[in-house]
Amino acid sequence: MAKVYTGRDGRLLLDGTEQIKVTNWSMTGNLETLETTSLGDSQRTYVPGVQEFNGSATLLYYNDGAGRNDAATALKKVLKIGSVSEADTVDMRLRLVDGSTNHDVRLTTYITSVTFGASVGEVSSAQITFQGTGALTAVTI
Amino acid sequence: MAFPTLQPTSRDFSPGDWPIKRFNSQSGAEVRILYGSQRINAKISLGYDNISDANAQLFLDDYATQIGTLRTFDLPAAVRTGWSGSAGSIDAPPGAKWRYELEPAVRAVRPGRSSVTVNLVAVI
Repeated sequence: MAKVYTGRDGRLLLDGTEQIKVTNWSMTGNLETLETTSLGDSQRTYVPGVQEFNGSATLLYYNDGAGRNDAATALKKVLKIGSVSEADTVDMRLRLVDGSTNHDVRLTTYITSVTFGASVGEVSSAQITFQGTGALTAVTI
Repeated sequence: MAFPTLQPTSRDFSPGDWPIKRFNSQSGAEVRILYGSQRINAKISLGYDNISDANAQLFLDDYATQIGTLRTFDLPAAVRTGWSGSAGSIDAPPGAKWRYELEPAVRAVRPGRSSVTVNLVAVI
């Protein structure tokens, strides 16, 4: 059946936990190319280099009835006393749902920047950006 | 083992000069004496960017075959790819051959890919 995916189908999972109150996420995959054009060529030629994955997401700064605040959990990956270590990776899954079928991109990331604040007349939210490390661990899109 | 027949991604050629000795008098007058009939010190620098490690290996193998900077050799036509002038214009002078001026520099770019720089000098 034909389907147009919208924000209603989007999910974001951090370390296996589906985040609540996510307003957007996006990710970018880049492939570095190495030029192999030689003298005498009329067109440039390339070979694949290294890949890179990064992206961003926005979560409402929201406490559910049980005191869970996913935005705060993400913010604490960077806003912490003491240094960030190699153990501070996040298993991130960017998901689009189609009924019982999940279209995922899964990667190990470091959260590289966080922004949050409060403004009059606005809901407080946290913006995070992340940098993938290593290869994608699953792609089911 | 001959010099690899790969097309370079960059080429810098310097034709050298004839062996000339210059003498300057106190008046500023210059006298030049020609000591030979051939150009000397022609140099060529070849860059091979992002080639496979197997191709990069060819340069190291050839460098070993030539016993480093000891032996002389001819360059294949592939080295002059892209040059539309006469081949002899960017080659060693007649009667001269090339030898390695320096050891080939191999820079690893990523797994399986390397960039190689080769510097040669023409000698009679």
